[in-house]
Amino acid sequence: MNAIPVLTIKDVATLDGVLSDFLKKTEADLTVVIDRGGNVISQFGDMTAMDVTIIAALAAGSFAATQELARRIGEVEFNALYHQGNGSHIFMNSVDDETIMITVFGPSTTVGLVRFYSATTGQSVAALLQSLSREGHGFSFEAADVSSGQIFVDPVAQ
Amino acid sequence: MSIINYASREIQFKIVYYGPALCGKTTNLAYIHQRISPQNRGDLVSLATAADRTLFFDFLPLNAVVIKGFVTKFQLYTVPGQVIYNATRQLVLRSVDGMVFVADSQWEKMEENVESFKNLADNLARQNVAIDDMPCVLQYNKRDLPNIAPLNYMEYVLNNRQKRLQSFESVSSTGQNVFATLNAVSQILLHKFSKQNDVPPTTAPTVAIPAGSVVPQTEVAPA
Repeated sequence: MNAIPVLTIKDVATLDGVLSDFLKKTEADLTVVIDRGGNVISQFGDMTAMDVTIIAALAAGSFAATQELARRIGEVEFNALYHQGNGSHIFMNSVDDETIMITVFGPSTTVGLVRFYSATTGQSVAALLQSLSREGHGFSFEAADVSSGQIFVDPVAQ
Repeated sequence: MSIINYASREIQFKIVYYGPALCGKTTNLAYIHQRISPQNRGDLVSLATAADRTLFFDFLPLNAVVIKGFVTKFQLYTVPGQVIYNATRQLVLRSVDGMVFVADSQWEKMEENVESFKNLADNLARQNVAIDDMPCVLQYNKRDLPNIAPLNYMEYVLNNRQKRLQSFESVSSTGQNVFATLNAVSQILLHKFSKQNDVPPTTAPTVAIPAGSVVPQTEVAPA
């Protein structure tokens, strides 16, 4: 039997507290914690204007792609990346070997402030995720709870 | 690796479409994107060259309610099929939960199919994952073309292992068996995480392969 790692309601509340505090201090719009495969672990802030799932997938790709560039100049990886737009910007920083934190922000704040607070926030998130893996929550569901019919249906074939 | 968020009651799974260049991986995702209602999917994101060749990956997020009480998010990725992009394929395979191997059924593509499947096994091994432990299905694509290898030959070349994979004949441009393939890999990976670890009902392989057969490394296409 394989178990899926679990974020309990308490874990999510703790993570949300850390991320909310970060957004308050930096006045950024949105912050998302993802794993390096592109899965969203936690998110906080204004998610109305963008699809967080897609941002996570692209950010993980962007982070991974620049790793090779970093190696060319003798680094293991770049531990932070900044994409500057005209009005909106993205700052990404490495949390640990498995996790990345993404921050989306606009003209109400500066990259310096985001960079400054993201370092300590990243450490708090890393500590929390480490305690999760130590506690080893795992979840597996009953086979009867899985829908037995077709998961995705092609309307044309109906 | 997938993760469950109990607060939002969400589970995420990552499924990667793998295969040689121009075998129809992106076409699979484009068809699924076209047919699934916008409430249950996100945008199809393609990082492609000007000539529509996949440069990094294609990405399509899908939502479904398949586990009682949870929203299940399936994230579909393709890899670039061209041989030179192996580093990119390794990146896209990170944290993968399920695989679809898309093979091009044309005779002249058989060597590329074998190479690509071997490349998949090698890249999974780099992540310490054996292909037999990964929920995976085979899709023999382009079955509408005139110069295709027969099904039993495809099975002999690509599915000749102790643990046989479920396989589908498809025409991804018209959608034939595109959803069947996606449903099969989704069910297999969901059952991997269920307590009983049941194997979902699958159709028996249609072609008998003699015991002890060896997969040919390279086959010459018949005239």
